[in-house]
Amino acid sequence: MKDLLFITKLTLTEKKDLFLSILFGFITGIATVSLFASSGYLISKAALTPPIYTLTVFIACIKLLGFISAGSRYGERYFSHRATFNILSRLRVSFFEKLEPLVPAIFLKYRSGDLLSRIVGDVETLQNFFLRVFYPPIVSTLIFLWTIFFTSFFSFYIALVLCIGLIFTTVLIPAYFAFRLKKVERHVRQSRGNLSTEVTEFFYGFRDLKIYQQLEHKQEKLIQRSDAYLKEQEREAIHNLFSQSVNTFVSLIISWVILLLGVYFVAGGQLDGIFLAMLVMISLTVFEHAAPMAAFPSYLEDSRQAAARLSDATRQDPSVKTSDEKEMKELPGQQAPSIVMENVTFQLFSEILKNVSITFPAGSKTAIVGPSGSGKSTLLALLLKIYQNHQGVIRINGIPIDQLDEESLWKNANVILQDNHFFYGTVRDNLMIARDTVLDEDLEDVLKKVKLDYLSLADPLLERGGNLSGGEKQRLAIARVLLKKAPLWILDEPTSFLDALTEQSIYHHLFEAAKNDTVILVSHRLAGLENMDQIIVMDEGAVVEAGTYKELMNKKGYFYQMKQIEQSVFTAN
Amino acid sequence: MVQLKKLAFKQKTKLMLLIVLALISGAAIIGQAYFFAAIVDRIFLQKQSFADIFQLLLGLFIVLLAKTASHYFSGLTGIKIASKVKKDLRQSLLNKFSSNPLQVSLQGKTGQKASVLLDAVDEIDSYFSIYIPKAVQTSIIPLLILFVVFASHPFTGLIMVITAPFIPIFMIIIGYKTKKKSEEQMEKMTALSGHFLDTLQGLTTLKLFNRAKQQKEAIRKSSHGFRDATMEVLKIAFTSSFMLEFISMLSMGLIALDVAIRLIIFQNISFFTAFFMLILAPEFYNALKDLGSAFHAGRGSMGAARKIEEELNAIGKPVKWGKAVLPKGEGPPTIRIEEAGFRYEGDRFALKNINAEIRPFEQVAIVGKSGAGKSTLLHVIAGLVPLTEGEIYVNGIRRSDLNEKSWFNEISYISQNPYLFSGTIAENIALGGKLDATKEEIEQAAEKAGILKLVQSLENGFDTPIGEGGRGISGGEKQRIALARAFLKKTSIILFDEPTTGLDLQTEQILQDSIKELAQSSTVITVAHRLHTIINADKILFLENGELIASGTHKELLESVEAYRKMTTLQQGGMAK
Repeated sequence: MKDLLFITKLTLTEKKDLFLSILFGFITGIATVSLFASSGYLISKAALTPPIYTLTVFIACIKLLGFISAGSRYGERYFSHRATFNILSRLRVSFFEKLEPLVPAIFLKYRSGDLLSRIVGDVETLQNFFLRVFYPPIVSTLIFLWTIFFTSFFSFYIALVLCIGLIFTTVLIPAYFAFRLKKVERHVRQSRGNLSTEVTEFFYGFRDLKIYQQLEHKQEKLIQRSDAYLKEQEREAIHNLFSQSVNTFVSLIISWVILLLGVYFVAGGQLDGIFLAMLVMISLTVFEHAAPMAAFPSYLEDSRQAAARLSDATRQDPSVKTSDEKEMKELPGQQAPSIVMENVTFQLFSEILKNVSITFPAGSKTAIVGPSGSGKSTLLALLLKIYQNHQGVIRINGIPIDQLDEESLWKNANVILQDNHFFYGTVRDNLMIARDTVLDEDLEDVLKKVKLDYLSLADPLLERGGNLSGGEKQRLAIARVLLKKAPLWILDEPTSFLDALTEQSIYHHLFEAAKNDTVILVSHRLAGLENMDQIIVMDEGAVVEAGTYKELMNKKGYFYQMKQIEQSVFTAN
Repeated sequence: MVQLKKLAFKQKTKLMLLIVLALISGAAIIGQAYFFAAIVDRIFLQKQSFADIFQLLLGLFIVLLAKTASHYFSGLTGIKIASKVKKDLRQSLLNKFSSNPLQVSLQGKTGQKASVLLDAVDEIDSYFSIYIPKAVQTSIIPLLILFVVFASHPFTGLIMVITAPFIPIFMIIIGYKTKKKSEEQMEKMTALSGHFLDTLQGLTTLKLFNRAKQQKEAIRKSSHGFRDATMEVLKIAFTSSFMLEFISMLSMGLIALDVAIRLIIFQNISFFTAFFMLILAPEFYNALKDLGSAFHAGRGSMGAARKIEEELNAIGKPVKWGKAVLPKGEGPPTIRIEEAGFRYEGDRFALKNINAEIRPFEQVAIVGKSGAGKSTLLHVIAGLVPLTEGEIYVNGIRRSDLNEKSWFNEISYISQNPYLFSGTIAENIALGGKLDATKEEIEQAAEKAGILKLVQSLENGFDTPIGEGGRGISGGEKQRIALARAFLKKTSIILFDEPTTGLDLQTEQILQDSIKELAQSSTVITVAHRLHTIINADKILFLENGELIASGTHKELLESVEAYRKMTTLQQGGMAK
């Protein structure tokens, strides 16, 4: 429950809209109850043949209350939804603020794709908190209290029964079912997870399944899991249906008891019969406003889980140090840094580095090569302080990396990762995050360098650069980095999607721009490395060979063999 | 919606049950109104005593019970209908997906299809569990009420009949007029709602460029834009419900007015009837309004239904199989490909006029530029993709007459990206075959594939869990496990899709050695990317644009086919021998 404290506080910041929605909700409820109550009373009065003006009062009352009811319901809906969206906006900003310092370290715990879409989904779920969890009990209770107050003028006992009814339908029954729902939901989630695994394997392993004739078996297993999932979903749905029915039944029975009491009192002379119809109508109508409470348990559970997941994801991991400490040093800008790695060992799931020692002198150009899984990207991630908690020492310009302020490090680095992100916006927007003091001519110039001059600066990019090919995205990332002009270049397979000719031309521009800078280039391809100051060969997390191109080729060791294999591969595009 | 309705109608008994329950509900609603009105009338006007009306109170209790019970069972039936539909849909979709041979090559669309199977099926639930029961109820209950009203006090019935149609008419008009506007706003909404995820996904990039903090404002702005766009759509919805509420309030006011006038002025109506009408009227209009909200619940399923329909209607010709069985243990069969071709829907063909004979134990290399159809040819030979033209003969028998299991028993396929399933290493290797593979056989296969030492160095050895949620496996290790599968299965035909980029040296060597060893007891057909493969091949099939341009040995093709020569000499600094 304490997970919901945060969202409750956030909700309370929308004071004005909150107040207005509750006010209008209250008015709607009162108007509706009054409408039916007065029609009950006036019909009873009409049966005793009263003067004509009763009729006019009757008509006026009903029209007015009807109009008020419909009108204020509009107001209730309008303000409550506006409040919801304002809260959603605050939620997003708030979680962004919480998440921002944790990235990219947080992707150690979760796979980034999953985590982020889950966070977005959970934030969306929480927008229901106000409308379906926070709001209904308040309005429901207010309407009830007013009704009880009003009824108490006619009969204390009936008001008491109404009070009991309020407690049952607004508090006890929803609470009980909310509690039971927790267990049910857990089963649903589990069975869904199982089904999801089977579905993924069915599709991604289709070919192997077919070849090894396991497809039918897989199908059966999938159907089994699907049936289990369906059963759990049924159970959950029936649970919710049952809780709704119980709530409805209790409210009907309360109305029945009120009628019973009313009849008893009228028959015994303690209550004027003219009010009987009115009391019946009141009790029938007031419980209609308890109806949203029937769905309350499942919304409460949804919100609670979403809030729990969010607070879990954004909790500060004490093992991940963030740069809050004041002794954080900064890198002097515009100066090509030197980097030293001494006996660095690191392990995280399948990412491993074993006893790596490398020196990157200031202004040097180093290439790191090796098969996939050899630790190249892990090494870069450690240098960028994306991964932390390693054994051994990493020093940048003599400063140990754990005393270095990340932001200062990144400010001074041109980084290209294997997955480069582009935002929904124009080409210009995406390029200008490198440097916002840049002119259009410079942008066009750099696009020409990467052979993307067929793109115009106003061209739209979809989310994740979805309308660009892999090669275009890489070239755009290179363009972005060419604009930034920092003294340290960290490049992870920057040209893997490009053909040899384009790669050559881009390397030419890159190395020209990086003439005096320190460059660390991870490459899968062994071409074009002849002019590097040093080549580091990695395999299974360790440095296997190191030296210049000439030295390594003469050695006829690992690098030489890799080169042989690469040359025997004919790629024909 | 059309498809969904048909699915619902298939479950006739349950629909009948819904109708019966709706009748009971209707009767209960009417009964409730009747008892309430009767009791008040007797006590208030007829001054009867408590004991007199006790039976009526009991009756009322039973009616209330019936009302709740029928509502519950109606919902329950809806849930059961939804479950059955979802179960059947998943089965149909799965059957469709299994028999669609292109499944093998459409790796890009995999995520979408998985989502249809999982999520889209979930999303149609509300159509059956909420909309259908409500639709049945709102067709029956208002009619029932109307009938009783006409029987008691026709004038009220008249008012109801005149005003009732306004509700659906209004809903339709408003829906129609605002369709364009809401579609516009929906587009805006989708664009803006994706912005948050987009920003989160790019947080690393933003931080590396020092732009993270500025994004806060951008998020706030886009959220507000989202809010405004959504509120525009909602305002329309709210206005329409306002009008509907207003209409029903007005109508109920008219009814109340009518009975009041008759009571006061004309005095030609009893209190009982008046009160009875007054209680029934709201139930009538509520039932009609209920349909509106249920309709929205149903609407939500339409998108999902469309996706499901698309998948079920997708054209896909499955591979044909027959009954003939290949004799085991006689070595690899002769494969003859005659005028084989494969084309996608529409005109695009991937393979045309392929003629080749692959003799037992032959080492065949398929070569060509990317997009030439090499993988398609391999898939066709494997029997994963059907031919649209021509035939394949296996030892003289048409392959479409062969028993499917018998054929696949002879095939091993080593792809560039082998798939590992969640399970143990042993289970993944044993996929290779007979589920009764012994531990020794698995270890032997692992040794031949060069991973025995690695596996034995792990804490749980062969029982180490891998795949989703298990130990991460590197690319090279995956290839070796795939090799182990092939060694375990001991097939007479090996299909190999050579990697285009270098793996680690160890795996490279193991791959070469393993293929050499497997070649001693099998026919090996390779999509080749390495020089040594084509140099050592007995026969090379050179493809260009889906057609077989030439076939022969490496020497022969070098001399006679210029395109081939060009392709194999154009490497990073290498020379063809």
